[in-house]
Amino acid sequence: MLKRGKFWLLLGRIALAVIFLAAGIAKLREPWLQFAVSINSFKIVPDAMLEPIARILPWFEVVVGVAVLSGIQLKWTSSLATVILGGFLALLIRSWAMGIEVDCGCFGSGEPLGPQVILRDSLMLVLSLAVTIGAFMTSRKKSLSSETSPQV
Amino acid sequence: MVAQNTPAAAKKTPVTVTKAAAPAAVKNFKLSGSPAATITIEVYTDYECPSCRNLYLQTLPELITQYVAKGKVQLLHRDFPLPQHQYSKIATRYANAAGQLGQYDIVANQLFKTQAEWSQNGNVDGTVAKVVAPGDLQKIRDLVKNDTHLDDTVTTDVAMANKDGLNQTPTLVVVNKGKRQKIDGFVPFMILKSYIDQQLAKN
Repeated sequence: MLKRGKFWLLLGRIALAVIFLAAGIAKLREPWLQFAVSINSFKIVPDAMLEPIARILPWFEVVVGVAVLSGIQLKWTSSLATVILGGFLALLIRSWAMGIEVDCGCFGSGEPLGPQVILRDSLMLVLSLAVTIGAFMTSRKKSLSSETSPQV
Repeated sequence: MVAQNTPAAAKKTPVTVTKAAAPAAVKNFKLSGSPAATITIEVYTDYECPSCRNLYLQTLPELITQYVAKGKVQLLHRDFPLPQHQYSKIATRYANAAGQLGQYDIVANQLFKTQAEWSQNGNVDGTVAKVVAPGDLQKIRDLVKNDTHLDDTVTTDVAMANKDGLNQTPTLVVVNKGKRQKIDGFVPFMILKSYIDQQLAKN
């Protein structure tokens, strides 16, 4: 049973890492200006912050992807991924509800916001949440087993 | 829904294109700037698209003043009339007819400024009539009505747009050392400036 849980956690971890790596690399392949334009379409970031965010965020996504893939401190790295995805989903829903024409920019440019994008990002958030819960459960089991193991 | 310009923003300096350095070499009325410029920015727009209006009235005047007029960048307007826009093609014909009389900028500027009106009532002719002399207006009307080659540049632009993989307007294509870099969507001048400066520094 534990082995099966570990297997699913590994699979979820890889999937989550691939999502973050793909999102980051897709943005890095385009000029930073394109991502800045996508961010600007959300109408919440001041002009002065567009370039720094457009330059840093893709690298941050890559770093999170690598961290999740490595499995080191998974409960914290997957928590971070969940917060990012949750925040971004909230932003997408807000823009959609306000009727703002937004280029999602999730995996590069040219992806207009619509129900499919929101559904896809919701599924990614569910995956991230599942990995985070799995990571916390695994960590708890490990600490419990180390507490109950006989002292030599 | 795309944010519309405020009236104050719409009153900004009209787009006046400076035929810099070597005006004799500039044959295309949609092209402005020095041929010696190392960067060319091609701007695909549709006269009826609100974001194109914002780009034309907010970003391009600054771009022209700070880069095109100073010979650093060449600017090329390209037409990409979208099929869902009812009056976009006729507006394009009027602008290009005006271009043949050396009045492209005046008419293009007027069309974008008054977009909200003529895109509702279709009165492109009445809109153009407000900014050109009656004699010129008649010539423009004749060209719009009779010139079978008036859409040739549009055909070329659309073919280029397909090559560039265009899927929306406005789209900028920054051409530097033969490399075409497509930027979709409305670009605020502040970040465009930063990007151009970096590209110029590389050359």
